[in-house]
Amino acid sequence: MIDVKDLLRELREEPYEKIVIRAPHSGRVEFVVQEPGTKVAGASGTWKETSGTLLARLEREQNKKPLFAPQKGEIMSFAGIQSGQFVQAGQELMTIRHFLTREEVIDRILRRSLSLFPAPEKGKYYFFPDVDIKIKTKGSQTVHVEDGMELFILSRMKRETSVRYSGPAGIIYAVYFETNDSVDRNSPLIGVCPESELGKIQEVISRVQSDWEERD
Amino acid sequence: MKKSSEVHRHTILIANRGEIAIRIMQACQKLGLAFVALFTEPDKHSEHCVLARRLGGEKSLFRVSSYLDANEIFAVADESGATAIHPGYGFFAEDYRFAKRVTQRERKLVFIGPSWQVIRELGDKINTKRLARKLGVPTVPGSDKPVTDDLEAEAIAKSLFDFQQEQGVNDPVILVKASAGGGGMGIEEVSDMDKFRAVLRRIKNYAKRQFRDEGVLIEQRIFDFNHLEVQILADRTGQNPVHFGTRNCSVQSLGRQKRIEVAPGFDPTSLRYAFDARKVLEDITEYSLRMAREAGYDNVGTWEWIVSPTGHPFLMEVNTRIQVENGVSARIASIKGKGGVDLIAEQIRVGLGAPLGYSQNEIVLNGVGLEYRIIAEDPDNKFAPWVGRITSFSWPELPWLTMHTQVPTDREYEIPTDFDPNLALAIIWGKDLAEVKARGVEFLNTLSLAGENASGEALKSNIEFLKRKTETVLVF
Repeated sequence: MIDVKDLLRELREEPYEKIVIRAPHSGRVEFVVQEPGTKVAGASGTWKETSGTLLARLEREQNKKPLFAPQKGEIMSFAGIQSGQFVQAGQELMTIRHFLTREEVIDRILRRSLSLFPAPEKGKYYFFPDVDIKIKTKGSQTVHVEDGMELFILSRMKRETSVRYSGPAGIIYAVYFETNDSVDRNSPLIGVCPESELGKIQEVISRVQSDWEERD
Repeated sequence: MKKSSEVHRHTILIANRGEIAIRIMQACQKLGLAFVALFTEPDKHSEHCVLARRLGGEKSLFRVSSYLDANEIFAVADESGATAIHPGYGFFAEDYRFAKRVTQRERKLVFIGPSWQVIRELGDKINTKRLARKLGVPTVPGSDKPVTDDLEAEAIAKSLFDFQQEQGVNDPVILVKASAGGGGMGIEEVSDMDKFRAVLRRIKNYAKRQFRDEGVLIEQRIFDFNHLEVQILADRTGQNPVHFGTRNCSVQSLGRQKRIEVAPGFDPTSLRYAFDARKVLEDITEYSLRMAREAGYDNVGTWEWIVSPTGHPFLMEVNTRIQVENGVSARIASIKGKGGVDLIAEQIRVGLGAPLGYSQNEIVLNGVGLEYRIIAEDPDNKFAPWVGRITSFSWPELPWLTMHTQVPTDREYEIPTDFDPNLALAIIWGKDLAEVKARGVEFLNTLSLAGENASGEALKSNIEFLKRKTETVLVF
């Protein structure tokens, strides 16, 4: 187990992350938020059903796609693009300084505490259909994995191959990929926690929840 | 029909990547047309980006989030002033909804491909099968509609096993295919009813993941067949289809991905067949043209055939698009005595409304064409794709060789994993089968392809596999 106290101290020294907002696709951009220093809200609600602050709209084929702030924070800078300009996919629009929430701190600590199973190759990953159904209906923490178990389908270059899990037995505590996303080699796919260590993980979570103060 | 001068006013948006994007750019250049090309992040080092900048300038290249985002493609088309879209041979090429949107949106564009009605009619395996049966064109025994119900699927499978047993087939096998699939994806074979249920579930899951459509087709598996194709071209009148001969695409990987294509499809002058090969080639050509005429076919297309060891052809499907292997047919063709036929340029020309301008008897086929698909893969390990960095790639300039590739030859190149694994197409011409085979092996012996992956393992390729298979191409 890692030293939670040390990690929390480390995170407190730089308690924020810079989020670069990029054009998700090509189109014509129209900024809604225009001033550096503007405070923005992130998506909220149990299911993130309330969108964050509307930052800009990106129009393609008469569809105006709203670009919402993914997290709360403040606008640090703009990338020098004017409203009405055509931007290409991936082009930088602005940067938000976001102060870490308790959930994010927990996530960072979990990534150091859990046994991570990394993507062996770059590609799209899917859970085996039976596992997928179980995760969708009952949640990932109901799935027990063991070394050598066929767990994923790797899809790339018009080929699908099965991928076996290797690592300690336990439950899938966290899933780090989305269906249809391309996952880079060595990026974590899942975080596994042996059943015997579930209590310790809960302690870590409780500690962060009581010790970490969220900032606006 | 439009005059040639009107055709030259167009700007073509190339909605595809890699070597086909390069061939479309080159075709545009031949036709004096402006173009706009796209790329995505994983493709930023592809040679198609380099060529786009060189031929069309920085403003001819747009970065997009995906080659499959229609709205984004339209946004780029509007921004760049493109007037037509060439989908290459990607998913949009056979998506009639996309073709329809291209031509019916507020700012109308030309779709370089068959009209959307033709794609809808022939892009659907089921419709194609029904049309074929109506015209007396032979098709593979099996279902003629997508099946989603497991009990119905089992009943069809059982009847196909029974049918083959009645025909005296000792070990009957059936194929389960994703009905929305294509290009050899989503197909498995089954030899008994117990395994059928598991395969059915797997293919339905696969089809749902890849195509969001779990319909399957169930057909008799015909063994030891040859896979032939007929290349068709027609203009917008839909009245005058011509053919550019046949191709044999029987050398494939385990996943039914083509690796060598040869035109023409058989060589009865140097090889002995158990059937009248010349007649089979004539028959499949005639059947393909018959269907093209009936459907009012109005651009390039490929009729795909299975030919059994007894010389019985069965229509498999129609690909309502330009295919990877179009160049091997073009290589052996001349029109009105002129060689150097470019079927992609022809596709663009007639797609923009120009008349075909020649008839079947003005197309002459000469010699034998051979195409190799050069791929980083491990043929000894189920053709598993090899992923890593290509450190060197070169080949000698030879008068009978044409190479199409998106892989740079002047710098290292990381193979993107998001796309089809083809690295290059090598098209070789010979006056006859013996010569083209000798030249093919000569080319493969001089081809240099090296690289290594993140673990330091050397690049694996299918070059030795291609050499081995060259020896027996067209033998049946």
